[in-house]
Amino acid sequence: MSRTRRVNCIIPPHLLDKLLDSEHTGVRKAALDTMLTTARLRGERGLRASFVGAASAGNGRRTVFDCQQGRLLPTATLAQSEDGAASTDESVRRAFDGLGTTRDFYRTVLQRNSVDDRGMRLDGYVHFDVKFNNAFWDGRQMVFGDGDGTLFTDFTRSLDVIAHELTHAVTEFTAGLAYHGQSGALNESMSDVFGSVVKQWSLNQSAEVADWLIGAEVFTPEIDADALRSMKAPGHAYDNELFGKDPQPDHMSHFAHLPDNERGDFGGVHINSGIPNKAFYLTATNIGGSSWGAPALIWYESLKASSIDTQFQGFADTTHQKAEELYGAGSNEQLAVLAAWQEVGIQVSGVPAGVARDLGRAGRNGAPGRTAGQDTGGAARDDGLTALNRQIDALASQVASLSKAMTAMQREHVTRG
Amino acid sequence: MKVTLEKHGGLAAAIQLRLPPKELDSAALPANDAAELAGLVAEAVSAGPAAEEDRPGRARDAMSYTITVEEDGRSTTVLTQSDTAMSPGFAALLRWLETH
Repeated sequence: MSRTRRVNCIIPPHLLDKLLDSEHTGVRKAALDTMLTTARLRGERGLRASFVGAASAGNGRRTVFDCQQGRLLPTATLAQSEDGAASTDESVRRAFDGLGTTRDFYRTVLQRNSVDDRGMRLDGYVHFDVKFNNAFWDGRQMVFGDGDGTLFTDFTRSLDVIAHELTHAVTEFTAGLAYHGQSGALNESMSDVFGSVVKQWSLNQSAEVADWLIGAEVFTPEIDADALRSMKAPGHAYDNELFGKDPQPDHMSHFAHLPDNERGDFGGVHINSGIPNKAFYLTATNIGGSSWGAPALIWYESLKASSIDTQFQGFADTTHQKAEELYGAGSNEQLAVLAAWQEVGIQVSGVPAGVARDLGRAGRNGAPGRTAGQDTGGAARDDGLTALNRQIDALASQVASLSKAMTAMQREHVTRG
Repeated sequence: MKVTLEKHGGLAAAIQLRLPPKELDSAALPANDAAELAGLVAEAVSAGPAAEEDRPGRARDAMSYTITVEEDGRSTTVLTQSDTAMSPGFAALLRWLETH
């Protein structure tokens, strides 16, 4: 058999043509088979090349489909693509633009080519179902509801919601954080972090000016709520008669222990995300300036270095380590990270509490309002060293006064003796 | 027949946790609505579970729905399906409950 194949491969095309004209049925069939096989192989090679091309040259090409209030994605109609005109439907346009802004953020700020870093196409589905109060990532594409018009309105209205959902895909292609308990809360927090950072980047807002709200635009005007969540003040996004007070904790001491099932939001993944959310907000404001600079880079590198079962502690340690790798040991950025986790009740491993407290304080006070960047490493490192030196001085003077007291006591003892 | 709809999870999961379930008593409905509801319940029950597992899988922020059907004060049937794994029968019943 292998010999036949080898022969097939070396038969020149003109000879095959001649063989096809042969009077012998067997010869004609063999020639025909050869030609078909070759054509098929050539086709497959071409097909494979076009697949590779599609993946790398796709560059996150966007397509938005209209579900027309149905629940079946395959029956949705094409509403806007990269090649066509902008839709007259505002939901379609907002989804299309939001996918684009998020894709551009990942490309220009974090050098990531679409959510999978291989140019994956971005498909969005709007007008899903009737009165659908949600937006979700189904593992392959984004789906938006119009809201019931009573509580919620169209979910395409919040850019941070669009970036939140697409970041679920980024997490899936990187750490793959399991969607329950602390890893699930980290998964949710990553989506809120980059959801908010994308919005701040698009508005060119500094960490100090930004609202740090997730889904501020999804409620109807009748609902008394600032947003779905507040990263700046978890637990304070809403407090009304209809659905009570925002249950998000902002400190480990208020970690919510909920059942690991649907009713318990898989251990409160949308609730306990308040803790790492606050840690990111604190890191960004401690460093000062643009959240999409050092803070986003530290978090993104830490996400890539995390895995399926990473917990809060492990993630905090990783951010501390990444801040050191990126900006240096004792840099302002690293101290900012240390202080942030400390403020939400998480002690970075290997840093004694007392030292962390002092260094953290230095990190918080380090040059407020300064724009984050690698060029700040020197000054920041000095801040850390100053804090450490101050502590050593304090300890040395304590030792000195102790030994003085000891000497005095010994003298007294000798005199009495 | 009493039908209760509970919704869980989703982007607004924390809010869903606080919202009361929606309850409908077929005795309080007009006869044709009650008959329609009974028909949809029967179809959703016979459709069985959706193809996928009840864990979230690869979907993120998807919502899940628990429809409880009580007859004569006794809980008889509990159906749970999610946005990414839903039988057409369950979807039809869900839509009816959402719009009534």
